[in-house]
Amino acid sequence: MTPIQTIAVGFDGSPDAQAAARCALELANQLGADLVFVHATGLLEHIDEPQAVLDLEETVWVLTSETGFDPGRARWHVDNGDPCSVLLRAGEPPISADLVVVGSRGQGNHVGLPLGSTSHELAEHTTIPIVIVPNGETGNR
Amino acid sequence: MLIVSGPVGGSEHHRAGHPEGPTRIRAVMAGIDDLHLGTDLQTVHGSPAERQQLTRVHSASYLDELTAFCEAGGGDIDPDTYATEDSWLAARSAAGAGLAAIDALRQHNDGVAFVAARPPGHHALRDRAMGFCLLNNIAVAAAALVSEGERVLIVDWDVHHGNGTQEIFWDDPNVLYVSTHQWPLFPGSGKAREIGGPHSRGHTVNVPLPPGATGDIVRRAIDEVAFPVIDSFAPTWVLVSAGFDAHRADPMADLALSSGDFADLARAVAGFAPRPGRLVMFLEGGYDLVALQASVTATLGALLGTSYEAEDTTSGGIGAEMVSQAKAERADALGRADLVLPPGGLL
Repeated sequence: MTPIQTIAVGFDGSPDAQAAARCALELANQLGADLVFVHATGLLEHIDEPQAVLDLEETVWVLTSETGFDPGRARWHVDNGDPCSVLLRAGEPPISADLVVVGSRGQGNHVGLPLGSTSHELAEHTTIPIVIVPNGETGNR
Repeated sequence: MLIVSGPVGGSEHHRAGHPEGPTRIRAVMAGIDDLHLGTDLQTVHGSPAERQQLTRVHSASYLDELTAFCEAGGGDIDPDTYATEDSWLAARSAAGAGLAAIDALRQHNDGVAFVAARPPGHHALRDRAMGFCLLNNIAVAAAALVSEGERVLIVDWDVHHGNGTQEIFWDDPNVLYVSTHQWPLFPGSGKAREIGGPHSRGHTVNVPLPPGATGDIVRRAIDEVAFPVIDSFAPTWVLVSAGFDAHRADPMADLALSSGDFADLARAVAGFAPRPGRLVMFLEGGYDLVALQASVTATLGALLGTSYEAEDTTSGGIGAEMVSQAKAERADALGRADLVLPPGGLL
């Protein structure tokens, strides 16, 4: 298995994404890996206020600071596409991740059905290892 | 003669505040009305596409999931894409409208057809909805034609790359997929080096264009990069993913086309059809309702050779270098037998 040098974590600001980010920060700390926070820019974000993406970036830096992770080993990456397609590309440059971490449900996922579940689609199609992180709320559903 | 298949989606499948809604169909129909075609306009109303027509391009498991999702009341599929309890019927009706357009053209053996239907389709993958799209309407139509031995050219001038259509026909030698689109932009696929699968090498043509590109640049992409491939392919039918979100007024992207540019493109694309009665336009994007209405009028007016009002064509924008670069990257990819890429949806 390829040594885990770079971890990508999907981030859309949802509670599950924040749980995934905390898990990824912990993993990166333990493994001495670099961390890339990945945000997928969809169709609607093109007409939304750019401030929303800036706010998300601010959130990841707060999370990074809270865990004591070296900010010099983390970066924020925004890519065009739906979350699944963008995270499927995470193993390729410019991210070149060895591991992907996602929350079990993002903003667009429907309870009880696989349709639209980024984590479900990723698990089916990914070419690199994936970690799916439930948060407490999801686990109680 | 203009055959309009629809309207479909003029009231059903909607969410308050979402830009892909029924008002788009009303703008499209107003654009057709502005041509005052009288007896030269025929409207057809098809049936919802049947399962066996959909499984040519979508997996059975995806169709089952989408059906169940809608029956359960729908919801968010991804941050862009929604479904409601009536979306399954609306999506099947939009797909069926394309099939009805083909039937009508065959019956008349003349004219052009416009599929005035939504939700749009070109982002819908074989097993996944995305980008406002649930079922891939143009792919369902193209697959039906291929099943009858036809060779189908799909020209996609929507401002976004049609990753779903590309993925579905990636390795099909009977379909030539040509796309001009803004780059970088959603969905992130559509690089020039994406040229098709091992059984269909060269039958995918992508020309990514920079923000600010004008109509002359899009024409250059079609004429210089796509035309030689189209000429060699010799299609028996031409289908167009006619999105109008490359218009300069559209809020969803940053190309700089006018309604007159769409008329110019339509004339060029019509020239790829082997004879009258073999050209079908499918509505894809287009979210500024005034621009959408005017662009539909100009496009269809140009195809019919009738009088219409349109903005002047545009020229002088950036992008010529990117067209040349796309041509070079494509040639390089075609020369590399070792280059094997996954279908568009995963790139």
